[in-house]
Amino acid sequence: MTGQTVYAEDLHLPGLLVGRILRSPLAHARIRSIDVSDAERLPGVRAVIHAGNVQQRPFGYNHDSIPLKPDKARFIGDEVAAVAAVDEETAQRALELIRVDYEELPAVFDPLEALGEGSPVIHEELENVDGNVSMRWDFEDGDVDAAAARAAVVVEGSYSTPQAAPAPIETHVVIASFGADGQLTVWSPVHMVFMYRKELADCLGLDWRRITIIQPPIGGSFGGKIDIDPHDFITVMLARAAGRPVRLVMSREEEFIGTRTRQPMRIRLRTGADAEGNLLFRDAEVVSDNGAYNGWGSHAMLVVMNTITSLYRVPSSRVRAAVVYTNKNYGGSVRGFGNPQATFAVEQQMEELADALGMDPMDLRLRNANQSGDVTPQGLQITSCGLDECIQLVREQSGWDERRGRMRDRNRGLGAAAYLHVGGGARIYGSDGCGAMVKVDDSGQVTLITGASELGQGSETTLAMIVAEEMQLPLESVRVVNSNTDVKPWDVGVHASRTTFVAGNAARMAAARAREQLLESASEVLGAPVDELTIEDGTIGVDGDPERRLDYARLVRRLLLREGGSIVMASAFYDPPTEMQKEHRGNISAAYGFGVHVAEVEVDPGTGMVRLLNLWTAHDVGRAINPMSCEGQIEGGAAMGIGLALSEELAIFDGEIAAPNLHDYGLPTAVDVPRIVVNLVETIDPLGPFGAKGVGEGGIIPPPAAIANAVADATGIRPRAYPMRPWRVKEWIDTDERSHVLRADEGRDDA
Amino acid sequence: MPDLFVPDTLEDAIRFLGDHAGSALPIAGGTDVMIDTRIGRVRTDWLVDLSGLGALAGIDFDGERVRIGALTRIRTVELDAELARRATALVEAARVLGSVQVRNMATIGGNLCHATPSAEMPPVLLVHDGVAEVAGPAGERELPLAELFAGPGRTTLEPGELLTAVRLRAPSSGGGSCYLRQTVRWSMDLAGVGVAASVEVEGATVTRARVALGAVAPVPLLVGAAADAVTETELPPEAAAEAGGRAAAACSPITDARGTAEYRREVVSVLVPRALRIAWLRATGAWPAGVPARINGVLSEDVP
Amino acid sequence: MIELGVNGDVHRREATPDLTLLSLLRDVLGLTGTKRGCLTGDCGACTVLVDGEPVLSCLQLAHQVRGREVTTIEGLGNGFGLDEVQAAFVAKGAAQCGFCTPGMIISVEALLRSNPSPTEDEVREALSGNLCRCTGYNKIVDAALDAAATRLSVS
Repeated sequence: MTGQTVYAEDLHLPGLLVGRILRSPLAHARIRSIDVSDAERLPGVRAVIHAGNVQQRPFGYNHDSIPLKPDKARFIGDEVAAVAAVDEETAQRALELIRVDYEELPAVFDPLEALGEGSPVIHEELENVDGNVSMRWDFEDGDVDAAAARAAVVVEGSYSTPQAAPAPIETHVVIASFGADGQLTVWSPVHMVFMYRKELADCLGLDWRRITIIQPPIGGSFGGKIDIDPHDFITVMLARAAGRPVRLVMSREEEFIGTRTRQPMRIRLRTGADAEGNLLFRDAEVVSDNGAYNGWGSHAMLVVMNTITSLYRVPSSRVRAAVVYTNKNYGGSVRGFGNPQATFAVEQQMEELADALGMDPMDLRLRNANQSGDVTPQGLQITSCGLDECIQLVREQSGWDERRGRMRDRNRGLGAAAYLHVGGGARIYGSDGCGAMVKVDDSGQVTLITGASELGQGSETTLAMIVAEEMQLPLESVRVVNSNTDVKPWDVGVHASRTTFVAGNAARMAAARAREQLLESASEVLGAPVDELTIEDGTIGVDGDPERRLDYARLVRRLLLREGGSIVMASAFYDPPTEMQKEHRGNISAAYGFGVHVAEVEVDPGTGMVRLLNLWTAHDVGRAINPMSCEGQIEGGAAMGIGLALSEELAIFDGEIAAPNLHDYGLPTAVDVPRIVVNLVETIDPLGPFGAKGVGEGGIIPPPAAIANAVADATGIRPRAYPMRPWRVKEWIDTDERSHVLRADEGRDDA
Repeated sequence: MPDLFVPDTLEDAIRFLGDHAGSALPIAGGTDVMIDTRIGRVRTDWLVDLSGLGALAGIDFDGERVRIGALTRIRTVELDAELARRATALVEAARVLGSVQVRNMATIGGNLCHATPSAEMPPVLLVHDGVAEVAGPAGERELPLAELFAGPGRTTLEPGELLTAVRLRAPSSGGGSCYLRQTVRWSMDLAGVGVAASVEVEGATVTRARVALGAVAPVPLLVGAAADAVTETELPPEAAAEAGGRAAAACSPITDARGTAEYRREVVSVLVPRALRIAWLRATGAWPAGVPARINGVLSEDVP
Repeated sequence: MIELGVNGDVHRREATPDLTLLSLLRDVLGLTGTKRGCLTGDCGACTVLVDGEPVLSCLQLAHQVRGREVTTIEGLGNGFGLDEVQAAFVAKGAAQCGFCTPGMIISVEALLRSNPSPTEDEVREALSGNLCRCTGYNKIVDAALDAAATRLSVS
């Protein structure tokens, strides 16, 4: 609030150089040669690097990428060279002096074309890749075709979602510095920090043990800063070549062009039910256009699959999906990680089905809702589950029963959407654990050293609250340290809404062990057995005897200030009891979060403009350890979901992002986001710390579907894509775009 | 990086711009020029800082006319109560131009002379019979505002010339105006389609009308035929619809990320009747005082 | 050479013709509370007050504010104390990552100076030039309304 927080661009290091990247202006081109001689000679330039003069190895999933491209550029923005110079202006001039001889190649931008015969192949050097298909994700459970034949009603539809951007207000900033002793220090907003360190070592041939990563306060990430990207390696390589610290700051334009995006998807879905409204099957074909490289984006399909097979009780399901390479900026693991896209299709079809059956959509949802104890076809074990309660809350608060279907004369509508998302970790890596250490020092201050990173989402406060609760202390006595890999224990990273659950459990375990140490020493000091001692308000003593009660500080000093003394310090590592999926089956998370949104919109049929009037939300968070923080995450996520639904899009023409700026991109303002109503539902998860589950991504998932359903209620037409920008809405109205419903008894397509 | 010249007087500014024709650019609020020069859309050796020429700022009412100095901040226009009464469309357009911060910096002269086809000020000034006052090496002149615009990003100003003021017709009674637009977001957006309308009435009959469009042609467009469709009527729906159709036929929008040309034409035919109707309600005193119009002109329950 | 007031102090500094106010504040004077978010005037993270009015320092030439008084986030409150707006942001949980917060707070300050008891809609309009990606704006609006009420009750 006072402007004192020091973010990466605010940091001051002596001799800091400015790093800048030269990016390919062509979407697909062979790099025949690079001439950096003029750039190198420019006064003030300390290093110019390209594939020909650096040491680097392939990295990324399936090793399909390398920081500075030696062979070809695969999208407009692909990194080809870089400079480090004494100031911005010199760095810019140096970039302009680098001459790259490109041989332009035919490019492919549409994923369906990329799947076709005769398409240019983007990664011909990868032997285990079939054409432009980076990965396939196929799953089948039960007999979908038999279920379809039995169904009373089948809804089918094709839905498409755009390339979108996390667009935090702080762009990417990386600083790298080699000490005289060869120790590398990197200041990075990354939040899978231990993997980042390993990748740096592997790719650049560095000694893994001589790398320190420091995470400065981050101005927002939303998954965009989760992974290691070429610009991270490049900053280190520049520092190595220049022999001085280098800071690389992305301009806003570069942030759009060269950092990770949310991958566009095309989803063809069929959902069927019997005459009573029991879901019988879902059948999906998905094409995920992940752009020129994999990053983490190739794995968004895991989440898409979970929603298709496991949101509501679905007896049989089939998913056939491909992650496709195209010559565009590539996808990462942006907040929601495929779930907004999947839910857009799944939850529209729920309301389409309900309408076709003559049922209220909320009743259809309740009829098929996931329940505690369910095991879904993919093996997800549902423990705590508040889906029913969430449905009831928003149904009532929005006046659903009285108003849905009844406001079309005023061009208004109500629409709902629910979600299922991991809330207790997500085992996509060998470990899903997080370490914690708790120490109590001679002042009585308690420090939690946690592997989890703070992105601005408030995890530090929540973790401090867990420790404070476990140790019966006021919150102000707990400090959290988590920003230096030399100090903090291992954590796989902040993603998949796992921090409260996994890091929280680790913190709780460590705090409990520290508390045990304090109890044992108090027992010795006070001469009373442990089971006669009570803890209250940072003191331990014998109940009812004020003479025999000590605060933590005095207890610690008693242990410390004697011959053969000791300190109070405990550690723990929590790894949730989950499994990596094999052939897409397995309980990937120790708990699942649920939630439901209802949106109220007003549509202007004349212009197609959609005004979001209200958004009611209810989220099953297990336990709201820090309610203000839970609300903040939900409200912020919902605002991003509203942006996805109505305005956010990276418009791409011939592989080029037409307008890489914030006003054309369509980030919602305070006027675009209404007052969001938040209901926190507590189901007290059996495994979560004090019953809590993750909620970091919940807010962003339902709005596109809920708003689409509301637009459908207001106008009768079915949105087939988001963002529902005005000209699209108007086109659907003018062409009368309706649900496609197949009825068993009529045997024909019903518009 | 351009160098900066700070003139003490208007004459100094004109002389410098004339002497450095082609390599000097005026800067006032900077909200367009600073972006253009940074991203290299415009290259110039000199920026001529007009922000100190206080005489060029101000709003002066003189009978049925108002004169607005070119350096008047958009925020000043937005907050002027008399303008809100007599040239409501102007204040409506000012209110949706960027954000508060942008409006504190941007000037009416800058918005006009940057000549972006989607700019907010040109259509609303056109429907108030805007006249541009220009000063240059050859002296002072004036021209109908419509003649100021040559094409996207280009004015008809000669080297060394500066827009010094805009004069408007803004009757103190019997008139009403309105500015509407189609956007993606509900704030901070550029117009995909911008529409301005003004009417003057005797009783309920329209005696004089103007319709102007923004963002749907290379320059802001005054559509006389649309105005004719409603003159000498009491603005029945058919007349308003006819005006909308004529305006749609007169424009030449493009297809881009904000919509197709066809879509924009349709939106013109929708927004023009709405703008006329609101202008007429205001002129006849039927619009509830102090109630702003929605940016797309959809009427809420508290309006007849 | 330009001279201007910043947070009550007078500064005289060399300034190249194209130096922006943002760069002067951050890079020359070391006041890094004001942020760079876009350089196109869209995000509002660079918002400061010039003679009490909120402007975008990324688009403001430093030379154009000669002799004026600039207020940045560092100039609010008093030493270690927080003013009502800052305190309300803390109390209402209106900051998550905090990057948009300095610009937001400056805009709220400006709003309350000209409109001491704004409606919720007026708050949202006034803040439409300050983008936040973390909070969804709810708690920021709450903080602004809360600060307004606090100031009115004190005066």
